[in-house]
Amino acid sequence: MKTKCSKYTSEEISRFVDNELFEDQYKTLAQHIEQCPHCSELSNQYKTLSTVFNNHVHEKENLKIDKALLEQKFDRVMQNHEKIPWGNIFGFSKKYILVKLTSIAMISLISLFILQKALFTPTGPSAIVKYVDTDYSSVMIIETQKEQHTIIWFNET
Amino acid sequence: MGKFIKICLSGCLIFALCFVSVPAFGKGQVMTRVKVIHASTGQNYLDPGLRDIISELETVFKYTSYKLLKEKNLNQSFNRQSRVNLPGKRTLVIMPLDTNDNRIRYQINILKNKNSVFQTRILLRNNSSITIGGPKFNNGYLLFNIAGAVQ
Repeated sequence: MKTKCSKYTSEEISRFVDNELFEDQYKTLAQHIEQCPHCSELSNQYKTLSTVFNNHVHEKENLKIDKALLEQKFDRVMQNHEKIPWGNIFGFSKKYILVKLTSIAMISLISLFILQKALFTPTGPSAIVKYVDTDYSSVMIIETQKEQHTIIWFNET
Repeated sequence: MGKFIKICLSGCLIFALCFVSVPAFGKGQVMTRVKVIHASTGQNYLDPGLRDIISELETVFKYTSYKLLKEKNLNQSFNRQSRVNLPGKRTLVIMPLDTNDNRIRYQINILKNKNSVFQTRILLRNNSSITIGGPKFNNGYLLFNIAGAVQ
């Protein structure tokens, strides 16, 4: 079992592997690694990791990006964003849009017509006179033709 | 076509909502408006406050002058009397009794010198009016236009 080394930290060994130490520090640590199995193993681990990472970076660098194609795609996306998708507002598709809009308009008109008939057309006279009691003999009940407005006329003599 | 059906259903929903939103003819308060009008054959005059009923009155009466003497709005409860003082020591006593088939049942009394000279019971269409006339006053006649609306 390898005993842990307290002389150098893992960070210092990582910097050694990445060649980020000053020359004298590098030499001292290199000598220590030759003698210390713990630091040597840690150094090997970092080197392996560094190799894997570098290989991956090189693979990516080998991928060629067609800038012209990329720009073309970008332009196309931008153009699509500028166009207002009228056809898809409220889930409408452009197909048969006129027929659909006409149908909605017709439904609305019929609804309005029915509502107007049901709510606004007077039914019968404005008032139904159930009884009249007066000390005077002459009483007239009149209903106008236009609005069926009820008028009660009594002679107060 | 699925979307089309959805649109049609939406239309039907709007239509249904229109019906639902129509206020129910309930039994709350009754807003009664009384207009006291002086009609005569004097100088031509049509009161601007009577614009909505003048055209109806003119189809029946041949008066040339219609003046609005008084207008009173009464916020009434059912079976509660309200009194409106009228010209010539007269009083109008009006009481909404109940509602029936979009109409308000009213009991209306006209008193003169505290004696009942006229009484009637009517079924007034909601948001409509009746005109009661006849009493002589100042070389003309008094007309009482009574409008009612359930709140």
